[in-house]
Amino acid sequence: MSDHHVKLNRVVELIHQRGFDGLIIYSSGISYILQPCYLYYFSGFRPMGPNNAVIISKSGDLILLVEPRWDSIRASKKSWIRDIRGTSDFLKDLTDILRKFNITGTIGVIGSGEMTTKLYEGIHQVAAIKLAGDIIEEIAKEKTERELDIIRKTANIADIGFKAFLEHARIGIREYELMAEMEFAMRSAGADDIFNMMSSGNHNYAMHPPTDRRLAPGDIVIGEITPACEGQFIQLCRTVFLGKPSSVLIEKYDVLVRALEESLKQVKSGNPASLISKNMNRVISEAGYAKYCYPPYMRARGHGFGAGSVAPGAVIDDDTKVNLERHQVVIVHPNQYIPETGYLACGETVLVTDTGMERLSKTETKLYINEG
Amino acid sequence: METMQPTLKRGRDVWNRINMPKAEFLGRVEKIREQIEQKGIDVLLLYGNSLNEYGNPCYISNYFMKMAQGAVVAITCKGEVTLICEGFSRDLPTVKSTTWVDDVRSCEDVSQRSVAFLEEKNLIPSTIGFVGLEQFMPYHQFQFLLKSIEPCKIIHAGDMIREIRMIKYQREVDQIRRSSRIVARIFDRIAQTPFPDANEKNLEAVMGREAYLEGVEDIRMLIAKPQEGNWALRPFEGVSLSADNVVIIYLAVEFERYWSEGIRTFLFKNDSFAEPNLEVVKSLYKRIVEGMTLRKRVSQFYRETIDKIKESQVDIIHEYGLGQGIGLSLQEFPLLIEEDTSPLKEGMCLTLRLAIKDKEMGAMMIGDTIYLSKNGPEVLT
Repeated sequence: MSDHHVKLNRVVELIHQRGFDGLIIYSSGISYILQPCYLYYFSGFRPMGPNNAVIISKSGDLILLVEPRWDSIRASKKSWIRDIRGTSDFLKDLTDILRKFNITGTIGVIGSGEMTTKLYEGIHQVAAIKLAGDIIEEIAKEKTERELDIIRKTANIADIGFKAFLEHARIGIREYELMAEMEFAMRSAGADDIFNMMSSGNHNYAMHPPTDRRLAPGDIVIGEITPACEGQFIQLCRTVFLGKPSSVLIEKYDVLVRALEESLKQVKSGNPASLISKNMNRVISEAGYAKYCYPPYMRARGHGFGAGSVAPGAVIDDDTKVNLERHQVVIVHPNQYIPETGYLACGETVLVTDTGMERLSKTETKLYINEG
Repeated sequence: METMQPTLKRGRDVWNRINMPKAEFLGRVEKIREQIEQKGIDVLLLYGNSLNEYGNPCYISNYFMKMAQGAVVAITCKGEVTLICEGFSRDLPTVKSTTWVDDVRSCEDVSQRSVAFLEEKNLIPSTIGFVGLEQFMPYHQFQFLLKSIEPCKIIHAGDMIREIRMIKYQREVDQIRRSSRIVARIFDRIAQTPFPDANEKNLEAVMGREAYLEGVEDIRMLIAKPQEGNWALRPFEGVSLSADNVVIIYLAVEFERYWSEGIRTFLFKNDSFAEPNLEVVKSLYKRIVEGMTLRKRVSQFYRETIDKIKESQVDIIHEYGLGQGIGLSLQEFPLLIEEDTSPLKEGMCLTLRLAIKDKEMGAMMIGDTIYLSKNGPEVLT
C-alpha cells in the first residue's frame, strides 16, 4: 500500500474514532518554519493561497479544493488526490462539498488558525466545528523512508549553504550580498524554500534578516542556515570570525561546543526532550553564564522540524514535558549571548534513533576563521 | 497575482530614511487623524499579517512582517502611534531600527496585546475603527478581540484607508519606480545571459541572486510553458528547458516595502532566452495602455479593453485577470474588473496583464507595472 493510502486510511480511522462526519485540512498558503503545512503534508501539493482545502468524508471520499482556480492544474500534477477542483468562490464551493458529503453534524478542522472569520463562520453554518490539528501530527510522527531521503538531501544542501557562507563571509561584502550568495548556492542545489538569518559585528545581540552593513575586520558573523525541500527544513547554526580570534572568543565558543556535545548525548528515543536543554544550560551555567541561559537572553534550546509534525515541539526548554521519539528531526542549538563576545551561533540538526542520534549535516562543529 | 509565499522574507531589511523619511509617515498620520476625527473614531487599529498583507500597519509604521506573524498599528486622535507586533522581545531592537514609531510592543498574540493596550489607554469603552481586522485576522484572535471590547462601538474604516492607499504619494511612486527598475534589469539579464544546461531551478536561482544582490526584500517568480497541453503559471521546478520552448516568466520584487511586477514571454533557443515575435500582442498591449486615461472609470477601461481584444481577433486568457493596484501589496485596489467603478486617478500604480492564445506558441503574456501620472500612463517596468 502506498504512503498516501496509509495516510488516508489512518485519517478515516481517526475521523471515525472522534465521531466526526468528515474532516477539512485547510491552508491559507502561509508557510511557517515551526508549524507544518498539514495540507501540503497530506496532499503532496504545496498551496499558494489564498484558500485551499482537502475535504474528507467518513467513507474516505476526498476532494482537493484549490484557489486560485488556475493553480488546480499544478495541484493535479503534484497531488495523489484525483478529484481536484479549482474555485473562485471558495466558501460556496467548500460548503457545497460538505453538503454533498453529508457532513452536516460535526466536522474536524485542521488549520482553523489560518481561517478568517467569514470562512470559519461559513463552515460553522453547515456543521459544528471541532479542532483536529493533532490528527496529522499523529500520522506524521514517524517519518517514512521517502521522508528520510528528503531530510538527508536537505542536510546536504545545508552543508552547501554553509560552504558558500564561509566562502563569501569576507571583509567588505554587505550582509544582504552574503545572504544572496548563500541563497544562490542552496537554490542551485535544489532547496525549494529557505529560512536564513544572520548577524555581523564585533558584538551581536540576535539574528535577523540581512542589513546593508559591510563586514569588517574583527567581525563575528553568525548564521542560521536553513534550507527546505518538500516542507522538510534542516538547520545549521555556525559562527565565522573575520581575522585572528581572541583567546576569549575561542574559549567561549568551546563552551558552546561542549554544551552541544553534552546535549547530543541525551538525544535518544525515550529520553525526555528537556534533557537537551538542561544539559546545555548546565554546561553554560558552569562556565558562569547561568543568567544568560534564560529569557530575555535565550529562549528555546532546540525544536523539532518536519513536513507533517514538529514533534517534540516548537520549543525545547527545561520545561518541555514530552519524550523524544524515533525519527524525530530536532535542531539542538546552544546559540548563546555571552557578555564578553555577544551572541554566538552553534547548532546541529539530528535524527533521533533508538540508540541515540544521527548527525544529518557533515559540516564540522567549530569556530570558523576567515583570516584573509 | 497569487504567488508562492516563502517562509521568510530574507532579503535586505533596512529603513532607508532618505527614500522614506519620518516626515512622510507623520504626514500620513496627520491625514488619517483628520479623517478619524471626522468619523468620531477614538482609536484606529490597522491590522496586517503574514508576508502578503503587511500593507496596513506598514503604511504608517514602515514595519513589515518577515514571517507568518501579525501586527497592529494603533492611532489615536492625540498621543503617540503604537506598533504592536508578534515576535520575541529580543527582536525589538531590530524592529525599532526599521520604524520611526517609538512605542513598539512585541507579543505572542497581537489580539491579546491589542486588548491590553486598549485597557491601558482607557479606550474600553470607546469608538474603535477597524482596518483589515475582519478581513485578515485569524478567526480565533478576532473573536477574542471582539469579545474583549464588547462595550465599544466599532466603525469599519477599511474603505477609508483603501482610498488613501490607492493614490500614491510621490515618494511611494519613487519606491515603486525603484522596484520596477529591478524587475526590468532582471528581465534584461535573462535575455542577455547564456544558460547552458538550463534547468528551471537554475534559472530561478540566477534570478533570485540578481534580485537579492539588488537589495530586494522579497521576490516571487512563476513560470509557464504554454506549448505544454495543460499549462498554467506555476513555481519553478527541477526540469530542463528544451530548445524552442516558449517560456512565460512572471516576476515580482519587493524593494523597501514596495512591489512591482512584470511578465515576459521568451523563446529558449541556442541556450539563450530571446524575444519571440510578439508584434500582435505588443501592439494590442500598447493600445490598451493608452486607454488608461485619467478620470475614466475602471469598468469603462475594462469594457474598452475587451473590445480592443475582440477587434484584434485574438483569444484572451481570462485566468490571470487584467491587473489591479500595486504598492505595499501585490494586490491592491482598484481591481481592473468590470464591477469596479473607481475612476482612474493621477497617482495610482497598477499592474496590467495581457494573456492571449497563440496557435504556434500556445500563449503569449505580457505584463507591467504602470504609473498614472498627470500626463497619462507610464510603464515603469
